[in-house]
Amino acid sequence: MSAMALELDGVVKHFPLRSLANYGKAVHAMDDVGFGLEAGGSMALVGESGSGKTTTASVIARLYERDSGGLVVDGEPARPFRSRKESLAYKKKVQLIFQDPFGSLNPTHTIRSILERPFLIHGLANGKADLDARLNDALEQVGLSPAAEYLRRFPHELSGGQRQRVNIARTFAVEPSIVLADEPTSMLDVSIRMGVMNMMLDLKEKKGVSYLYITHDLAGARYMCGTIAVMYAGMIMEIGPTEAVIADALHPYVRLLKSASPSPESGPARARLEAKGEIPSLIDPPSGCRFHPRCPFAKPLCSEAVPELRDLGGGRRVRCVLP
Amino acid sequence: MADSTMLEVRNLKAGYGTRKGFVRAVDDVSFSLGRGEFLGIAGESGCGKSTLAYAIMRLLRDNARIESGSVLFKDRDFATMPAADVEAHRWTDMAMVFQSAMSALNPVLSIGEQLTDAVHAHRKASAAEAQELAAEMLSLVDINADRLKSYPHQLSGGMKQRVMIAMALILKPDLLIMDEPTTALDVVVQRSIIEKIEDLRSSLGFSVIFITHDLSLLVEISDALAIMYAGEIVERGPAGALFSDPRHPYTRGLMASFPSLTGPLVRMGGIEGSAPDLLAPPPGCRFSARCPFAEQGCREGPSPALRPLGGDRFCACALEGRLR
Amino acid sequence: MIKDFFKTLVSNRKSLAGLCILGFFVLVALFAPVIAPYPPKIDRLETITAIGEPSLDEELVAEDYPSDARDVLTYRSTLTKDYTKTIDYFPLRSRPSAAHPLGTNHAGNDLFSQLVWGTRISLGIGLATGLFVTILSLTLALLSGYLGGVVDDVIGFFTNVMLVIPGLPLMIVIAAYITMKGVLPIVLILGLTGWPYPTRLLRSQVLTLKNRDFVRVSKSLGERTSFVVFREILPNMISIAMAEFFATSMAAILGEATLEFIGLGNVTVVSWGTILFWAQANGALLSGAWWWFLPPGICIALVGTSFVLINFAIDEISNPRLRKR
Repeated sequence: MSAMALELDGVVKHFPLRSLANYGKAVHAMDDVGFGLEAGGSMALVGESGSGKTTTASVIARLYERDSGGLVVDGEPARPFRSRKESLAYKKKVQLIFQDPFGSLNPTHTIRSILERPFLIHGLANGKADLDARLNDALEQVGLSPAAEYLRRFPHELSGGQRQRVNIARTFAVEPSIVLADEPTSMLDVSIRMGVMNMMLDLKEKKGVSYLYITHDLAGARYMCGTIAVMYAGMIMEIGPTEAVIADALHPYVRLLKSASPSPESGPARARLEAKGEIPSLIDPPSGCRFHPRCPFAKPLCSEAVPELRDLGGGRRVRCVLP
Repeated sequence: MADSTMLEVRNLKAGYGTRKGFVRAVDDVSFSLGRGEFLGIAGESGCGKSTLAYAIMRLLRDNARIESGSVLFKDRDFATMPAADVEAHRWTDMAMVFQSAMSALNPVLSIGEQLTDAVHAHRKASAAEAQELAAEMLSLVDINADRLKSYPHQLSGGMKQRVMIAMALILKPDLLIMDEPTTALDVVVQRSIIEKIEDLRSSLGFSVIFITHDLSLLVEISDALAIMYAGEIVERGPAGALFSDPRHPYTRGLMASFPSLTGPLVRMGGIEGSAPDLLAPPPGCRFSARCPFAEQGCREGPSPALRPLGGDRFCACALEGRLR
Repeated sequence: MIKDFFKTLVSNRKSLAGLCILGFFVLVALFAPVIAPYPPKIDRLETITAIGEPSLDEELVAEDYPSDARDVLTYRSTLTKDYTKTIDYFPLRSRPSAAHPLGTNHAGNDLFSQLVWGTRISLGIGLATGLFVTILSLTLALLSGYLGGVVDDVIGFFTNVMLVIPGLPLMIVIAAYITMKGVLPIVLILGLTGWPYPTRLLRSQVLTLKNRDFVRVSKSLGERTSFVVFREILPNMISIAMAEFFATSMAAILGEATLEFIGLGNVTVVSWGTILFWAQANGALLSGAWWWFLPPGICIALVGTSFVLINFAIDEISNPRLRKR
């Protein structure tokens, strides 16, 4: 078994609510989230909005600190930062790509002043000439050339796809070992999504980074990643090799998700799973299995205790009492 | 296929003024829609698909206008009809579901009031009749009738979109135009809404124009498909045929932009570059700058027109037939 | 970025008109000594015709009063030659004339000169208060919005308290307690009553910017808090801060005029407000002496208009939905 780049074990993150009406309550954004990402591997974290997948990325990037549970990066358990040096060292290892190509670039700065920050913060350039060379490389490896042309522009002068490429260039500038990509293509026009996805695949190959690819799109997850983890209402419901999980989903929610996803090859006539309702409130999550109120196969047992994430062998784990 | 034509759009040109000039977002668009037919219009942001929908409904914003062309609906031209007459037909004959149900519903009125208001605005009906109709429509979209007293903020996103559909269908229109109705919703909710529309269409018999950027979804649910690029329809025809054998290079590129859930895992191409500026569209074929097959001739002269290929298929590519 | 901002301001027709009006008044204020025919607080002109040199020890040798408005005094100096001093008194409450284009007031001061010199004080107080309030509220807003928590609660509490106290009475109460020397007290009073509203507005802007992705990116890259605040957030607040500056400046000019008008300012200072105060105190409105009260009123209105025009333009620039299509 190869070394693990990232390991989460029973991570919990609740956001306490400050309003009077909900005093003492909290948003259960992450409960008992655990998975491992192999060095050089790629895992898709799939879920609908409100499933806790973006919180998971923020907790791994340590934009928020987890409430409890283990977080191990490159074999080192994450501890509270004691100095700015420690915090910088961690951030150099773990980088995020944000979803919104328009919101993630400061509109008042040029691409140059945006892109030189990672090099300056982490002291990666020796003098101006070296910085210029690195800026050029950074832009050219995301397919933006001539680099000089882009460096002096402002974000609003670029298209959505170009902006997202600048974001990706910034992410890779610090040469991270783990890249957390939070729906990097969902806000792009459909025709340019593949270009960005392919570029990310090539960069991964070239740089040997590990990806945690967050998406709501099963087909995109399949295209990008070897392993898949499906989250629902703050919990991981099923983990396994992508092909196996998509071909033969075990958790009823994953089956529902698969049956709802557009799939032109299968045609409209295929049998679909029916589910009632929508994703529950994370302030008062359902008792027991969080999917049971919508599950077509729910039994009385399901509302009583939260099922364990059972290991079924072959790298597959599922949080359901049924199969 | 369609037995009788209900809507026929002919050479429609429409656009809107901006600070930099007039943007012709719909440029010489023609298509027809049969009774009970489901037409999907696919295109990327800025291709003019929403302007097309609003132009058909005559709901264009103040800065936008129809330049020329006709929108024949039940043999009357909506494009040139006086505004007062359009009012009479809108909602009773053709209705629309907008992308953001969140902002299309008035937050201070209950669902029931908004549904009954839609009835009263167009038809003489007693309060009790309107109330009954509203309850009936809600149950049609699988929402319990006691929700009539609810306010929009008490409903989930999916439920609000269902209410919008109920409101659009409450006067039993013959045509329902949906502008990205499920884009803001999650996959599972999106699927349940689409299935609801399908059920209602087969029971009530209205036609649907469904506009979205999600081609993989459209292929699955539409009878006919029209692909829009930079203000023009570049290809249209039966959905299945377009999916299995796309002819226009843009359609091919779009089809190669959606990874498959079940097929073999192959590297897909997508399309290089980005859409042209509609303030100053390039000469010749508007896709030529991004087209891998483009020749010198593609970049000159007028934009190629839609040519019939037989079998209800049309394609606006000068190289069509020579591409393999 | 700031350069771009001003470039856009100049290219917008509304703000160009506003900037022109404002520029006019700024020029008047700067060149007041050149433009005004007399200093603002004199009521006579003295001319000395030397028959000889003036000296230390002098003696009045002749007096002549050719008219009510003229004294001719001849002095003899023991050491040097004699000289004559002619004093021309300005008429009191005169109508506009060639010598006094806007007439004179009850004390015989030239109203046109007062108007010109008053521009300095009124505009100066307005812009100084605007600057003071903008800096104060920007600081409070950044502290409150970015740090959040207890800091936000404390600042928010004081902001809310100040917001519910009506501004004018508060200003009057403070003004009544402060001895007015020069114009600084007025700036302080106007500033201390003017910060809550801009603070609240700017704070909400900080709150939205704080949650924008580019701020989160900055943090995830490891930027220091000071960098995030000053390089990521602050540049995005320029347009709204400028809008606040102009709005506050305008409120300050009106506030100054109000305080002076009701006599709580420093009436020895010559500003548009004090001209109005003396006009009202001397019944100019009743006697229909429009040349006394109308010009300062028009000036206040014009400067106000210029600020409003500039603010409209800033709104259009920063809010694309308002842009003319």
